[in-house]
Amino acid sequence: MQLFTPEFGLAFWMFVAFLGLYFILAKWGWPAIIKMMEDRADLIDKGVALSREAQAQLDGAKADRDKLIAEARVEQAEILREAAKMRNQIVEDAKAQATEEAQKVAEQAQLRIEQTRKEYEHQMRLEVTEVALQIAEKVLRHQMENDKAQQALVEKYLAEAENKN
Amino acid sequence: MKKLIPAIVALVIVALMALGYMDAEHHSRLHPEAASEPLNVKATLFGHLGDAYGWEVPFNHSTRIPLPVIVRDHAGSWHVFSSDRVTGGATYDGFKIVSDPDSELSGKIVEVLDDGSEVRPWDLSITKNVACIFIAALIVIAVVMSLRRWYDREGMKAPRGGRGFVELIVDFVYFDTIRPIMGKHAPRFAPYLLTAFFMILTLNLLGLIVIFPGGANVTGNIAVTMVLALCTFALTTFNGTREYWKEIFWPEVPVWLKCPVPLMPFIEFLGIFTKPLALMIRLFANMMSGHMVVIVLVTFIFLFAQMFGTAVGGMTVVFSMAFSLFMLLLDTLISFIQAYVFTLLSALFISMALVEPHHVSE
Repeated sequence: MQLFTPEFGLAFWMFVAFLGLYFILAKWGWPAIIKMMEDRADLIDKGVALSREAQAQLDGAKADRDKLIAEARVEQAEILREAAKMRNQIVEDAKAQATEEAQKVAEQAQLRIEQTRKEYEHQMRLEVTEVALQIAEKVLRHQMENDKAQQALVEKYLAEAENKN
Repeated sequence: MKKLIPAIVALVIVALMALGYMDAEHHSRLHPEAASEPLNVKATLFGHLGDAYGWEVPFNHSTRIPLPVIVRDHAGSWHVFSSDRVTGGATYDGFKIVSDPDSELSGKIVEVLDDGSEVRPWDLSITKNVACIFIAALIVIAVVMSLRRWYDREGMKAPRGGRGFVELIVDFVYFDTIRPIMGKHAPRFAPYLLTAFFMILTLNLLGLIVIFPGGANVTGNIAVTMVLALCTFALTTFNGTREYWKEIFWPEVPVWLKCPVPLMPFIEFLGIFTKPLALMIRLFANMMSGHMVVIVLVTFIFLFAQMFGTAVGGMTVVFSMAFSLFMLLLDTLISFIQAYVFTLLSALFISMALVEPHHVSE
């Protein structure tokens, strides 16, 4: 059957055409195309790896940031607490100091009052003595001749006056 | 309503075809000398499946695109002339085309010797199939170079449109098929396998186009598939490693299977030839049968019209066209599948010849 008998001419031309096509494409076609496709696949793979890495880094950075924020919060609370403590301390100290100061002032005042009083007493004694001496002078002037009992009485009064103070 | 539209379309087709037949019948009644002789199904079938010296043009049975005929006569000198000179039974330079459909050399050019006997000369004519092969080769070059140029111009940017489709095929054939099969040998054989794939695919698809650049049943011609199979055979045989030949002539089977009667070596040796033979027959048979079915379906129209009258012939049109369309769609799929299978099996056979010793013998 003709259909199953290979025709030589056709086989010859097919061989020539196919061989020619092969050499042309093997030289200028396929290697370049395959290389480009491989390169691109590599590039894409690399790009994917890179972006994954970047994502991981980003995630890491985010975690770091969160950690830092948390740490800062803790520190902030610590500082606030510390500050509050310090404030209390200062107030406390100030109060104590004020109390002390006040006490000192009071003591000084007391001391001064005491001193003043003593001065007054001294003065008064001096004045009383003067008055007494004047009285005595007067008594002496009027009753130079008075008995001794009267003189003793004067002294007794004086002593009493002294004791009263 | 939706079902009505195809029905109307079908009716219109039937009516038109019937009108055409009536006109033809009228015509043949007027010109009885032009009345068509009974349809020779076999001649029609093999005429369309086989090769030809000219290329048919649509809607015309007598005009053909002339192609160069290159033949060597019995004296040894070469003759080159247009196929126009020998169409219609004419004889030129002692050469003519055998018109007898029952002859073994039907449709071929023969040399008429002085004693009246006809012999087949050496025939290197650019026939329809050869021309189609050249056209396909040019198409493949254009397609591949277009992709290459895109890369040269655009760098690594992914190609768009048709080039993207070509790249998809290359990706599928090379990166998903050849490379997994052949491993480190892949770059060496990729040009051959990819060229074979694209050549077969283009020829297959061209064969499905019924008008000029197509319509030739090239991959359904055994000479073409033989050349392709021989290429794979040559690559397999010349690249065979020592291990490959050892496994053929001294395979690892119980000794009584290879000595004294070399049963297994004989089978293995036969395998060297059956593999490319299978490649050749598979592609040829698949593509030829696809064409054949479509042609037979179309022939039914004329056959039934002849047997049962115009109306039946007209009715057959609808069914024949529907089935032809289905077959052509199927053939498009088969075009891809067969090109792929040829490439896949070639890669497999070549990689089998490249075996390294896979276990250490003691």
